[in-house]
Amino acid sequence: MAGRVAVIQFPGTNCEMETLRAVKHVGLEGDIVRWNEPEHKLRSYDGFIIPGGFAHQDRVRAGVIAAKDPVMAVLTEEAEKGKPIVGICNGCQVLTESGLIPGLEPGRVEMAMARNRMENRWGFYHRFVYIRRMPETPDCAISVSIGENDIIALPIAHSEGRFATTDEKLLKAIEERQLPCFIYTDRKGNTAVKFPDNPNGAMFNLASLSNRAGNVVGIMPHPERAIFRWNLAPIDTKTPNIHSGYNIFKSLKQYIEKVS
Amino acid sequence: MAGHGLLPDNEYRRLVELIEREPTTVEETIFSIMWSEHCSYKSSKNILKILPTSASNVVIGPGEDAGVVHFTGEGDDSWCIVIAHESHNHPSQVLPIEGSATGIGGIVRDVYCMGAKVVAVMDPLRFGDPDGEKRYRTRYIANGVVKGIADYGNSIGVPNLGGDVYFHQGYDDNCLVNVVAVGVVRRNSITRSAVPHKAKERPYKFILVGKATDDTGFGGAAFASEILNEEETDKGAVQVHDPFLKRVLTVATFKVLEEAHKSGITIGFKDLGAGGIACATSELASKGGFGADIHLERVPVSIEGLKPEVIACAETQERYALVVPDEFVNRVLEIYNVEYELGKVYPGAQATVIGEPRMDGLYRVHYNGEIVCSVPAKTITEGIFYERKRKERKQSAFISGRRIQIEEAFKKVISNLDVCDREPIFSHYDSTVQGNTILPPGFSEAGVIKPIDDKETCLAMAVDGNPRWGLIDTFWAGAGAVYEAVRNVVCAGGIPICITDCLNFGSPEDPVVFNDFHRAVEGIAYACNTIGRLDSPGEPLPVVSGNVSFYNENAEGEPVPPSPIIACLGKIDSIDDIVMSKIRNEDTELIFIYDPENIERIGGSVYQSIIASTGGEIPHFDGEYVRRMINLIIELGRKGHINVCKDISDGGLITALFEMIYDVRVDGGALGIEIDIGCLPHNDETVLFSEAGGFIVGSVGERINKIKNLTEEAGVTFSHIGRAVASDQFIVRRNGTVLVELNINELNELYRQPLREVFEWQAG
Repeated sequence: MAGRVAVIQFPGTNCEMETLRAVKHVGLEGDIVRWNEPEHKLRSYDGFIIPGGFAHQDRVRAGVIAAKDPVMAVLTEEAEKGKPIVGICNGCQVLTESGLIPGLEPGRVEMAMARNRMENRWGFYHRFVYIRRMPETPDCAISVSIGENDIIALPIAHSEGRFATTDEKLLKAIEERQLPCFIYTDRKGNTAVKFPDNPNGAMFNLASLSNRAGNVVGIMPHPERAIFRWNLAPIDTKTPNIHSGYNIFKSLKQYIEKVS
Repeated sequence: MAGHGLLPDNEYRRLVELIEREPTTVEETIFSIMWSEHCSYKSSKNILKILPTSASNVVIGPGEDAGVVHFTGEGDDSWCIVIAHESHNHPSQVLPIEGSATGIGGIVRDVYCMGAKVVAVMDPLRFGDPDGEKRYRTRYIANGVVKGIADYGNSIGVPNLGGDVYFHQGYDDNCLVNVVAVGVVRRNSITRSAVPHKAKERPYKFILVGKATDDTGFGGAAFASEILNEEETDKGAVQVHDPFLKRVLTVATFKVLEEAHKSGITIGFKDLGAGGIACATSELASKGGFGADIHLERVPVSIEGLKPEVIACAETQERYALVVPDEFVNRVLEIYNVEYELGKVYPGAQATVIGEPRMDGLYRVHYNGEIVCSVPAKTITEGIFYERKRKERKQSAFISGRRIQIEEAFKKVISNLDVCDREPIFSHYDSTVQGNTILPPGFSEAGVIKPIDDKETCLAMAVDGNPRWGLIDTFWAGAGAVYEAVRNVVCAGGIPICITDCLNFGSPEDPVVFNDFHRAVEGIAYACNTIGRLDSPGEPLPVVSGNVSFYNENAEGEPVPPSPIIACLGKIDSIDDIVMSKIRNEDTELIFIYDPENIERIGGSVYQSIIASTGGEIPHFDGEYVRRMINLIIELGRKGHINVCKDISDGGLITALFEMIYDVRVDGGALGIEIDIGCLPHNDETVLFSEAGGFIVGSVGERINKIKNLTEEAGVTFSHIGRAVASDQFIVRRNGTVLVELNINELNELYRQPLREVFEWQAG
């Protein structure tokens, strides 16, 4: 039986439909589950995605109110069982504010998704970016079927997407490549050296970061918007190892099959 | 002054005649809104009759909240496109962020309330001169408007697929913020904004859902029809937006519509816009042939002590009215109030029953046991009509200007604010949310999406309208806007299926302005009739929705540049037929397709403004020739003969060529251009800078001959002018003599910077 994924809908979420479509497209089953639905329903799923949007209007700062929502306590328990939880864009912000990623000390907020730092501009930024796995890092729920040299082209759409921390333990863990992660690159797959290849000034060029176990993952770019080849029409896809967001969801499927 | 002074004396007398007594305050308020230019089209409706609005693909033409055209599929699997196009000019001038945000908020409600999913928005914008006398105000407005569009559009999860922007000092005191929303709906799921006929047989109720009513936007519709002056900014008439609540409302409403559809329940559904509760419920009633009893004391309010006319007519945002049968009422309330917990999402937000339809056609409003309005619903919605005077405009004299070096002119043209890179605006908009985007802004002449999951059919969309043309000749400006929007859609591979118009002018009471308006409508009609529907010969390209915005003037009473703005939608049968405007490969051969009769008309061009020339003729299009050209382009795209296609517009041929290679990287580095215009029998400036419309197509090898043959068969000129090369030079020659030889990187910077500087936002 195919794995079942719950796509969590907070008030203000706005990417739930295409996220569910992507889940189904790779052969997983899934539903959109409202934030206030019964706990037992939520617990019956094999994996969870917190999609993009503006959960609870991003009041105070992105993701912080949703992080305090009772639904997150349930997800935290399910994550402890090893089930995958993927936060995309606003979902990544929610997971960060919940202390689930990087989760070196679970529950502690060790990192911020700070305002974009960009050249000569401010605010919301939409563009296509290229990402790949940081070399020599472990697998996570969205990378198991992605090779080290694969480049993934995806859109970003956010104003607060800069991975930032001053936490010594976290800095060390990333430097020592203990945490699974993706980094921004240029179109050839070389590590980004400047804006706009790194579109928001993220530390270490981070586009995605996981907990140590690899089952809780936050990613700022939007794989659910680039599931089909035609989503990449603006990208020159002549380079042979350029892939779409399809591979991210395929990884999730493979990961769920492995753990459940 | 009669009554409360809400209506001009003549209209007040007319109202007394109609209802055979003095009106109550609530009645006077309702009529002052329904008879505003904004709601009644009292000056324009007779002229708008010229427009062709029917064709076999039109499901619902102008008159409802949005137009509906057939898109793809048949029978139960038939899908329609829903489109609405409006202006939100005055509110945006006063409070740019709120004004432009509520503009999006209002237009998406118009599309949602037809039962459709909104799949795209576009924003045509016109701002003052950012380097002129009022530069600080202009920059504040431009930045605020873009921020408002971004804040709202990004939050509700609708991709922004395009728009255009022009700057002119004529907009210093009155910016134009138009907005287009596009949706898709299954034909059998279209919801009407009317009390259903079934209400004759069984009881129905009016449900109001959304934000608790306050006094915001009270008088907004009347405000939209006033002239702005700097002392009275009327900020209270601008509504306050909430995209967050809108998103939750939309998600919950979809559940209501889906359940109604599944259970075969017919409901009526309408957004609350101008005139709030009173106008929405009276229109729902009138359109269905009913009246209504509305109880204002049942309306949830967020401020105590509101007068009945305020509760009835305030334009509090994020509200809808539904008319549902009694047995469905509790389920609807449960979806909004329990499942989606509206009250927790936004204080005071909820769904509430506020009244019921009446069989006798009378529209009655009750407030604490008193009847505060009692008029036939038809009387309220019937409107009013004015015959306006017209007077021909004096043509401004032709001044030939000074000659400048072609290289110099080229650099000035691509760094002109009406031409340069739009990325500093559109990168603030989310253009890929919903995951259906194929070509976001910047990659094609039109935005392209694949809006229906199990259908291959794609939708191309574009907006256009050139204020420099409007200043010279509104007939050809109107026609030209249609042609350009059509050309943009065609470039991407789309067959035009309909257009919408938003007509932004000064005061209709000024005979010259009114004549300009009339001529623009005639020009639009001419273009729609001559282009016709390529997929159904003999039918006009239909105008399915639109809006008229009058009273756009500056403090001295001068009207804004006449601004007919057109949106065009096109249908692309297969993803494989989509054509980009960026050259991807070096050694792409370039072919120029144009109308040799028209190219000599360079009045209103960017080049003309650069050489300080004025007057002259703007392009006059030969409709038949345009039709042949666009048919040809569609055929070339479908047969796979071309891999790139670009429309010639602002900045002319040379600008179009540059835009095709701007920021493109090939393995060897930059992509350059080498053309020779020796085959074109016009002077150099005309060839390079005329904005008379046409196409550049790119192709390779054997296919060039096929293009040549098809072009000749179509009776259209074929001019093979050169190619894209792996180089960092942009070279133009005439029979071997170099006219332009410039470095691509230098040109890139000239093109990239100007708008960045206008939209350079300060952090915080």
